Amino acid sequence: MPPSKAEVLQGTLDLIVLKTLDTLGPLHGYGIAQRVQQVSEDLLRLNQGTLYPALLRLEQRGWISSKWGVSENNRKARYYALTKRGEKQLAAEAESWERMAAVIARLLAGAEGAP
Amino acid sequence: MNILRSLAMRLGSMFRKRKLDADLDAELRAHLDALAEANIRRGMSPEEARFAARRAFGGFEQTKSLYRDQRGLPFLEALVQDLRFGLRMLAKSPGFSAVAILTLALGIGGNTAIFSYIDAWFIEPLPFPHPDRLVIFETQDKKHGWTSGGVTSAADFFDFQKQNTSFEQTVAWTVANFNLTSDGSPELVEGGRVSCNYFDALAAKPILGRTFTAEDDRSGAPHVVILSGGLWQGRYAGDPKVIGRSISIGGEAYTVVGVMPGTFQFPLMGVANLWTPLALTDKQRADRGNVWIPAFGRLKPGVTLEQARAETATFFAHLEKEFPQTNANLTWLVSSMTDRIRTEEGGPEVMICFAIVGLVLLIACANVANLMLARATSRTKEFAVRGALGATGRRLARQLLTESVLLFLLGGVGGLLFGLWGMRWIESQIPGHIRAYIVNYGHVDLDFTTLAFTVGITLLCGLIFGLAPAFGSSRLDVNRTLKEASSQASGSSQSARMRRIFVAAEIALAVVVLISATLLVKSFIISVRSSPGFNPANVMTAQLTLPKTKYTQDSQLRNFSEEALARIRSLPGVVSASVASYVPFGGFGQGIEFEVVGRPLQPGERQGAPFTAVSRDYFSTMQIGLVKGRFFDSTDAYGSSTSVVVSQTMAGQLWPDEDPIGKKLQLGEQRTVGTIVGVVNDVKIYHLRQRRGWHIYVPMTQFPSRNLAYAVRTAGDATTMATAIRDAIWSVDRNQPVSSAPMETLIATVDAGNRVVTRLMVFFGTLAMFLGVIGIYGVMAHLVSQKIHEIGIRMALGASPAQVMRMVIGQGLKLALIGVAVGALAALGATRSLSTMLYQVAPNDPPTFIGVAILFAGVAAAACYVPARRAARLDPLVALRYE
Repeated sequence: MPPSKAEVLQGTLDLIVLKTLDTLGPLHGYGIAQRVQQVSEDLLRLNQGTLYPALLRLEQRGWISSKWGVSENNRKARYYALTKRGEKQLAAEAESWERMAAVIARLLAGAEGAP
Repeated sequence: MNILRSLAMRLGSMFRKRKLDADLDAELRAHLDALAEANIRRGMSPEEARFAARRAFGGFEQTKSLYRDQRGLPFLEALVQDLRFGLRMLAKSPGFSAVAILTLALGIGGNTAIFSYIDAWFIEPLPFPHPDRLVIFETQDKKHGWTSGGVTSAADFFDFQKQNTSFEQTVAWTVANFNLTSDGSPELVEGGRVSCNYFDALAAKPILGRTFTAEDDRSGAPHVVILSGGLWQGRYAGDPKVIGRSISIGGEAYTVVGVMPGTFQFPLMGVANLWTPLALTDKQRADRGNVWIPAFGRLKPGVTLEQARAETATFFAHLEKEFPQTNANLTWLVSSMTDRIRTEEGGPEVMICFAIVGLVLLIACANVANLMLARATSRTKEFAVRGALGATGRRLARQLLTESVLLFLLGGVGGLLFGLWGMRWIESQIPGHIRAYIVNYGHVDLDFTTLAFTVGITLLCGLIFGLAPAFGSSRLDVNRTLKEASSQASGSSQSARMRRIFVAAEIALAVVVLISATLLVKSFIISVRSSPGFNPANVMTAQLTLPKTKYTQDSQLRNFSEEALARIRSLPGVVSASVASYVPFGGFGQGIEFEVVGRPLQPGERQGAPFTAVSRDYFSTMQIGLVKGRFFDSTDAYGSSTSVVVSQTMAGQLWPDEDPIGKKLQLGEQRTVGTIVGVVNDVKIYHLRQRRGWHIYVPMTQFPSRNLAYAVRTAGDATTMATAIRDAIWSVDRNQPVSSAPMETLIATVDAGNRVVTRLMVFFGTLAMFLGVIGIYGVMAHLVSQKIHEIGIRMALGASPAQVMRMVIGQGLKLALIGVAVGALAALGATRSLSTMLYQVAPNDPPTFIGVAILFAGVAAAACYVPARRAARLDPLVALRYE
């Protein structure tokens, strides 16, 4: 496996999906998968299928909602949208992610200075 | 919140599977199509595009499966799946299922029924508030280790009542019979005479009126009575204005002051229809010599039993010094009332039955586990295929476990029904009279504790005995099994060994049960067949008590008893008639203290024996045999010198080397001197398992009695004479209640407990044997079907059918004999705990042990015969081709 293509961790996937829906508004599964790929510039390896159980999980938790609609090319598609609770969850997760990233960054900087 | 919401969604989704599956499929396909279209736009050929899309998407079915797991509750879904599959498997082999469920239902039901009694006896607290503070008092002889059996002397009691500091309440009580003569036909009812604080100490509140006061409990106070709920509902038709009403008891007027609820019961007293105050006279209260009155107390809160015991010990040490004549060596044994009631009536019997049904359940479980193991071996191929298709060992084991728990649960449901029926049956077998001594009148219900017990044992057995086959299958070697699939000898040797162990254990347990059951049944038969010392067939009894108010003179008593006897004797169908102060099995008898003339007793030493005043022809009517001397005759008339007849054992023990005839006894407080004129054989008077005892008979002409028990030998069926005899008595005095019953009924009532136990033993003993036979048959039949190939080869090589049969039966018998030997050894130890319930049968009774062993070997051989014959009749050609 090429080292650059990291497996997507579950928690991370949740955050990515929530953020995507926050930025782009209601979107179908294919759209979300495309967006994830674009943003990560193919650095993240995502089996697009694994996205669907994740979407269901987020829906069960009440962070996103879904309804059937019609896609750009006139196909029946299921659209996912962020809920109010999902927005709160996104804010909370983003914050904790940033805090964690900061800690890791500091740790790595320190480690470089050490012998 | 999140968890609940998600759980609800997941649960909800389980019921819309088809729709959701369709949706998912559409969604995923749309995704794939979109990917493919994008690829085409990038210039791929449609085929290439679809292929690349699939690659980018990952496993389609895998995604679906992951999605479904996330959508529903995989654990629950698998369970539902297993249950459905399990039910299908059960329905596919109805014979196996029926046998397994039936045996489990019988085993679990038996345990449910018996446990409901264990619960009522040993687990539920007595139905009084703070029952742990209730204790009973009884006089105990420290030197001789003798205990009075729940009674004390009145003076000891009242002194202790006055001086003690440990008890909130101390209560004396006694049972009594009351003649109800007003309001309808005369009726003799049982009841109690009690201290005024009796109801307070038991914390029982009346439903009408009041309980007794200290004023009521004085000798000479106006007569008052409290009715039981039952008597009030029955005889007084639930009259709400009954309080203040005057009723006639034994010819005296009593004012009703209270009515107790129908649920109130004091098991030590037994049947109680009404209560009057004890109201002892000053002389009776000061009596220290007679130990006769039952007493109990309620401890003050915070006072321990030990503290109370210490106080009584000090108190009685003091009395011993003060009254050496009556109180030498005497003290009180203070013991928990709960323990007393539990050991009094039926406790040991219930425990024995519980042990037996427990063993039967174990046998039933082993049996079912065995059948399941057999089925698991014949399903090896099925499991191998499923294993090859990706089912993990754990998943297969879980399925088997689910199946077995399902089987046990079905058995449990059947068991509950059977148990309910059993509870009602046992209840119906206990005579009403005896039920009054059992907590809650012997009525048991399927309460929470019992239900929890049933569900508990069902699940526990299901898990434990379901694990065996599940464990075997989880270690299945898929590869090997599939390769060997054609050979029928696929049951792993480990599982086969397990089954043989199960069968041997099952037989061993069944042998223990059958030996125990046989010993108990044998005891019962011996006791029932044993002669009570008289011939009870065709004897009718009629008992009454003449009231002190109307019959004040001895001459009146004598006239009544003789007049009534003469009228009974002249009835058609009467062979002979007699009257006595007490008939055997007729309730509480009377005792008398005596001293042999010329052998004075030591101070404090006492000697007593049951005592009956009888009419001349009592012995001939009852057919009690004369051993020596003569029966009473016309010379033993009123006014002539006192004659005495004693029992054989008494004569033998008092005068081992002398002729008892002509010896003199001083009887009772009057120290009346009587001469022994005859010796009769021993008679049992309380129960059939009684040891031979002492008995003193005197002529009723010389000892007139207020208690009259007519014993009438009839030409035909005694029961048809009941009314005629009662009318003959009523023709002398219409106001005297008479209770009549055939002698045989009196005996059966006393023996009811043993009768119930015996019937249960017959049932469970047979069941145990039946289960053992099923077990060995199952194993042998399975063995033969697995060895068809081997048997075919043997026969092709020249083994004769007889040899094949011998081989199969031999293998079965070997198992059976191991089981029988182990069982017999275990029974040697186990039956020792039965010894208190056995009568004239040793716990290691050789005929029982040998008989059961032979019986088991016999039925085991018979059970093996069927599969053996099948093996012997095999056509070797067919057998060899059989796959």
